[in-house]
Amino acid sequence: MKISFKVNGAARELDAPPLQRLLDALRLVLGLTGTKEGCAEGECGACTVLLDGEPVNACLVPVGQCQGREITTVEGLGAAGHLSPLQRCFIDHGGAQCGICTPGVLISAEHLLRRNPDPDDDAIREALAGNLCRCTGYQRIIESVRAAAVLRRADARDVGDPRDVGDARGARDVSHDRQEAP
Amino acid sequence: MSVSDLRLFEMRRPADLPDVCAVLAERVSRSEPTVLLAGGTDWLVEQETRPAFAKEAALPLVLDVSRLPALRGITLDGDRLRIGAAATYLDMRRDPAVLARAPMLERMGRDIGAIQIQARGTLGGNLATASPAADGVTALAAYDATLVVHSVRGERRIPFASLQTAYKRSTRAADEVIVAVEIDLPPAGSPWIWRKVGTRRAQSISKVALAGVAVREGDRLTRLGLGMASVAPVTALLSRVRTLATSRPLRDLTAADIDAAVDADVSPIDDIRSTRDYRAHCARSVVRAFLRDLGAPV
Ligand SMILES: Cc1cc2nc3c(=O)[nH]c(=O)nc-3n(C[C@H](O)[C@H](O)[C@H](O)COP(=O)(O)OP(=O)(O)OC[C@H]3O[C@@H](n4cnc5c(N)ncnc54)[C@H](O)[C@@H]3O)c2cc1C
Ligand code: FES
Ligand code: FES
Repeated sequence: MKISFKVNGAARELDAPPLQRLLDALRLVLGLTGTKEGCAEGECGACTVLLDGEPVNACLVPVGQCQGREITTVEGLGAAGHLSPLQRCFIDHGGAQCGICTPGVLISAEHLLRRNPDPDDDAIREALAGNLCRCTGYQRIIESVRAAAVLRRADARDVGDPRDVGDARGARDVSHDRQEAP
Repeated sequence: MSVSDLRLFEMRRPADLPDVCAVLAERVSRSEPTVLLAGGTDWLVEQETRPAFAKEAALPLVLDVSRLPALRGITLDGDRLRIGAAATYLDMRRDPAVLARAPMLERMGRDIGAIQIQARGTLGGNLATASPAADGVTALAAYDATLVVHSVRGERRIPFASLQTAYKRSTRAADEVIVAVEIDLPPAGSPWIWRKVGTRRAQSISKVALAGVAVREGDRLTRLGLGMASVAPVTALLSRVRTLATSRPLRDLTAADIDAAVDADVSPIDDIRSTRDYRAHCARSVVRAFLRDLGAPV
């Protein structure tokens, strides 16, 4: 089945079996290996991506259902050298250890912050309830999201629409005291 | 069956509801397996855990119904709420009519899996899978919802009370598509309960869940709808509790009578999630808690 859709803002076209998992289409066909596979049954959230702006488990989405739709993966949030404030906060606040859960957690957190720029801890916990982490104990993740929310609000006051901040094309590294490893 | 076998399936995206009904009728008449795919949160997981199809077996044809306009949308017409079978839990949770008039549905939706599941899962899929643990079905049972189904023979309406026949079996025919559910709403502000007992709030299947809606006039209930998950082969309607609690003033209800009615209405089992005894205990205590909130001295 021919499928055209947008991935991280760019138009893509695939000729794929319609029931192929979006997860495999992203990783194996498009080479976007940021999105991870954990459980393959909707429980762990490692494969979370945005589908038309909503978080979904890419292991449970057949790529044939993505015709004409927009996908955002962790690569769409920002990349080495121009991490989004949210990504930067996960580094600065210890929200990532082994990193397997991190792409999914970042996507869920990005979704939360787009809809709720000032979430309390309960809202953060609920938004991340579908993302399991075996390393951090979650507290650092929550602190990272809280810190990102503060940065994004400050950024929104300074530069305008907060929704642009998490977008790779407009991403700026607002944490000035660190440099990316080359 | 493994993930890589998914690439063997054929999928079609029917143009409209008549198209789905026609394809389904033809295939059912030839005993050809067909799957209506909505959010895929039940069906895709099942594919990964089922045994491989026999070599000679015909693979099901998948019909994507997730974006059919006839199955989408949530509308309020007077006191009747209609929810498209392919509307997602997240659609429901954000819908102003649901929030204002059917808050129990919003609360239930919050307990479905986690947001990734809520963004994909649908009431149509929940009803068709028909697990006795299904949360959406439990809420619909409490609202005494009506299923609207379509086939080449036209529309048919199935009241909830005549839907379920046995474990994962229903009176819906194999060629009938679930199009929507309709709910005759209680007045705005009517009392309700949603209580899911599980190991954690997210991503858990209930040990017991209770959905309830009530209309109270003075010391009497003039409407009581209840649904209970995970205590019987089908979603329990708790008909004895309903009859008991609407038959006399709330102040005349006793804990012993309520417990006896609950015990007669449920038939829980031991399984991986809980025990028969604990389920029976939970069932009694959540029903009593709801009736206590409504004013019964229990
Ligand atoms: C991690 C995880 C957590 C979950 N948590 C919960 C939970 O807390 N509570 C709960 O109740 N469920 C839960 N589920 C199960 C599932 O998400 C729900 O049952 C959901 O409502 C299924 O809807 P769907 O659209 O994804 O169904 P699909 O998988 O698309 O379809 C399921 C079945 O329904 C049929 N079907 C779909 N639409 C129609 C229609 N319109 N007419 C006729 N047949 C149709 C399909 O052919 C298929 O047989 C969970 C699942 C996962 C993976
Ligand atoms: S890999 Fe998709 S939810 Fe775990
Ligand atoms: S950082 Fe290792 S699983 Fe979360």
